[in-house]
Amino acid sequence: MFTRRGMRVLGLLAGVAAAGLCAVAWSQQAQTFLYGTAPEASEFHFTRLAYQSRNGAGFGRRGRWLTDWPEAEQHLLGGVDRLTRIDAGEQGVAVSLTDEELFDYPWLYAVEVGYWYLDENEAARLRDYLLRGGFLMVDDFHGSREWASFMDSMQRVFPDRPVVEIEVTDPVMHVLYDLNERVQVPGLGAVMSGVTYERDGNVPHWRGIYDDRGRLMVAMNFNMDLGDAWEHADTPWYPEQYTALAYRFAINYILYSMTH
Amino acid sequence: MFEWLFKYPRDEFTHGEFVFASTWPQWVLAAAFVAGAAAILFFLLRRREMGALRLAAIGALQLAMLALALFILWEPSLVVRSLKAGENAIAVMLDTSESMGFTEGEQTRMQQAQGALGSDAFGRLGSDYVLRRFVFSRDASATEDYATLPAPGTETALAGSLLQVLRQARTSAVGAVVIVSDGGENAGTLDQEQLAEIASLGVPVHAIGVGRERVPEDLELQEVLAPERTLPGTTLSARVTIRHDGAGVARLKVYDGDKFLASRDIALPEDGTVTTAFVDFGLQEPGFRDLNFSLDGKDGEAELRNNARATVVEVPQAPSRILYVEGEPRWEYKFMRRALDDDTSVRLVSLLRVSPNGFYRQGIDDPQELQKGFPTEAKDLFKYDALVIGNVQAAWFTPAQQQMLADFVSERGGSLMMLAGSSGLGDGGWGNTLVGELLPAQLPAEGPSFHRARGAVVVTARGGRSPMLRLSDDDAENARLWTSLPELADYQTLGQLKPAANSLLNVRIGDRQQPLLVTQLYGRGRSWILATGGTWRWQMALPVADQRHEAFWRQLARGLVADTPARFELTARSKGDTVQLRAELRDEAYKPQQGVTVTAVATPQAGEPLTVDLRPSADQPGVFEAEVPAADSGLFSVEALARRGDQTLATTRMAMRHESGRAEYFSVRQNRSLLEQLAQATGGRYWTADQLDGLPEAIRYSAAGVTQQEIRALWNMPVVFLLLMLLKAGEWLLRRRWSVV
Repeated sequence: MFTRRGMRVLGLLAGVAAAGLCAVAWSQQAQTFLYGTAPEASEFHFTRLAYQSRNGAGFGRRGRWLTDWPEAEQHLLGGVDRLTRIDAGEQGVAVSLTDEELFDYPWLYAVEVGYWYLDENEAARLRDYLLRGGFLMVDDFHGSREWASFMDSMQRVFPDRPVVEIEVTDPVMHVLYDLNERVQVPGLGAVMSGVTYERDGNVPHWRGIYDDRGRLMVAMNFNMDLGDAWEHADTPWYPEQYTALAYRFAINYILYSMTH
Repeated sequence: MFEWLFKYPRDEFTHGEFVFASTWPQWVLAAAFVAGAAAILFFLLRRREMGALRLAAIGALQLAMLALALFILWEPSLVVRSLKAGENAIAVMLDTSESMGFTEGEQTRMQQAQGALGSDAFGRLGSDYVLRRFVFSRDASATEDYATLPAPGTETALAGSLLQVLRQARTSAVGAVVIVSDGGENAGTLDQEQLAEIASLGVPVHAIGVGRERVPEDLELQEVLAPERTLPGTTLSARVTIRHDGAGVARLKVYDGDKFLASRDIALPEDGTVTTAFVDFGLQEPGFRDLNFSLDGKDGEAELRNNARATVVEVPQAPSRILYVEGEPRWEYKFMRRALDDDTSVRLVSLLRVSPNGFYRQGIDDPQELQKGFPTEAKDLFKYDALVIGNVQAAWFTPAQQQMLADFVSERGGSLMMLAGSSGLGDGGWGNTLVGELLPAQLPAEGPSFHRARGAVVVTARGGRSPMLRLSDDDAENARLWTSLPELADYQTLGQLKPAANSLLNVRIGDRQQPLLVTQLYGRGRSWILATGGTWRWQMALPVADQRHEAFWRQLARGLVADTPARFELTARSKGDTVQLRAELRDEAYKPQQGVTVTAVATPQAGEPLTVDLRPSADQPGVFEAEVPAADSGLFSVEALARRGDQTLATTRMAMRHESGRAEYFSVRQNRSLLEQLAQATGGRYWTADQLDGLPEAIRYSAAGVTQQEIRALWNMPVVFLLLMLLKAGEWLLRRRWSVV
């Protein structure tokens, strides 16, 4: 028979297993809900890029690509609907770079890209996607280590294209809102810690990769967490000013991607 | 033989009127025939033992005999009206144009014509009538004789010259006109109206054709039709018409000045004398391009000057501007802009509603352009060459702006294209608007007609012939490129097409097809519907190197602006040794501008510039005309200036290819059908130069001039007595054979 201690260990293991199963089930449900053709007929869809994480999802976590889901897009899309004339779907969708449907969604959002990993095939697909006219917004990665990790895959996509700072004068900063001030948009954790940065990412950067005609293809919000700002738009202790700014950046990126 | 049997010439029967000269009423004739027939039947029925067949044969012969006898008794006659000898004139017109100098065999056409004029037939005509002699090429002039001829004319105005002679003849008794020609009309004067006028004068025209009708060793580039204006890099399709006798392959080459552009081998079928084909090429350099089209000569081809033609095409330097109004951000907007980004000949100016209160403008020339949204004044809207309206509701435009949209097409002469969308076309309430009236299709009032569902594009037969939709010069490859395109992202249902509309592309959804790209002319301009907002899928679903999406939009955009007139338009047309200039001037709102002075400086390729003032047209406001002498062939350029007082209103320039004197090289073949058409319309006949014996007789029965009436008795024609004898002899022989009395 089991001893009391054995029972405790067994109970703990069962609990952990149940929690793990729940997490997996949640993740599966998210994937089932998000993947494939958009559930509604709209012109624009908030499209999450599903990618492999370099160090896995982490125990008890869903995939890093699903960070902030579903509240981030739900909140943001409400703002897009209210503030612009874009015919946007109320729910987001998700695609991976190997999906057939990838090219039906010319706007992609990738989160926590400090942990992403793109193999050669995926990098080639993303390169093709961007050169055909697709747009990628990356967000929520902080500090030099995550930058290096992000660039490790990004360089497979564009080995020869430089990553440059997006100038304040760039049309992407003015397509609807004039975003002349560079304010670091923090994640919820940073805000709760009383700072606006994570790791060694003290300075926010708006970086990008441009095509041969000077059109922005990849917009990088480095040392920022716009996703958290959207997600916590209804969180009382998350500063509203950051949410408002994060909405504005996102709307400008979306409008830019639909006009350039 | 005819005359021996029937006593009179065939023409008398053709022109005369048949009558019975007897004073006995004709009902008596019918009654006598019925009585005689009854008597024959009565007597024959008493001989039933002969059998039905024999009775029928004998009866038929007796009835015919009876009919013939009664016919003779009633004195059949012919009333003939003919020209009175000595009191009428015959106008003889000899073609002295350059083409009459073509040598065929050992004789020139002129020598053939002289031979005809010296024939017995003309001798007889000369003895009965006064011969009035004329020579003609561009116009007709009287001559005493044909021993001395004027210099060969560089143009043949056959109909015009004929009318000139006929009008003169009104005051005198002209019984007929005899025209000796190869039929090489090249002044463009013979149309149905002129033909009707010639026929109405009532003088029969007898045409004597000279020259060969078929010249197997010759190729003739009969016509080249190319647009007057094209944008740089656009594929241009020129239609060429080749005249030939017999099968073969003709190689056509196209040059821009001395620079080779394109070549095409054109198959000439055995059963056709005229073959039409298209040759595609592109022009890159701006300016007036002097295009030369030439056919390689055939073995033994003597006349090579008719193998080439030239035309001028303008390639504008400044880009055309298209205003695209879009009601909401969407992918079609982005990808259309990208497709046109590299096109230097078309600039897309866009006004996009990005937020409930905000516009986003792209492609503008200055910060003030479209700052207040869609133009509210015609002069601001009419600066653009074409308009594209995307997913915008009709109600967003004020009634005045909708009127301006309609005027943009009908008055300005621009193109208006509407795109599909959830707030576009029928779903946008455009159906019952002024703009809806000019669109090429009815728009369904009941919605929704916009569907976010995939559909495959299909090129229609008419679309397949349009250079605008050409993705490859090769027909098979072009078809493959279209059928292998990815599906469209969406489509919109249209109502019935308007009567003048054409669908160039269809969209296939399942088993059914519906119009996708539709167009029609409306007023001075053209309207279009592209019933999708989803061609962007072509760009995203195809490899980066695939340029089909870009090519589609660039060619469509160029098609939208290709024929849009400018405010100050100058055109020129060759007419003989002159060039006719026509200028049309409109103000900023494209209303005809009057009270201005228009001056042109015309510069021939070789020669001094000539300044002329253009006269305002009497019946067309805003139109000014002038005629400039142009003796030599070559490139002819004109610069025009419109002024009001000392103020210059507008300037423009154009160039054309003036071909003086070349028209005659294109009359290698005798145009017999034209000569026959003339003769038939006037009651005359067509004659060949070597068979003119019947001409005097044919002319004799003309109804024109001073005529006399004669009655010819027909009862004593030999054929009547022969028939009588044959009928009686036949009956006698049959009775003898059957041994019946």
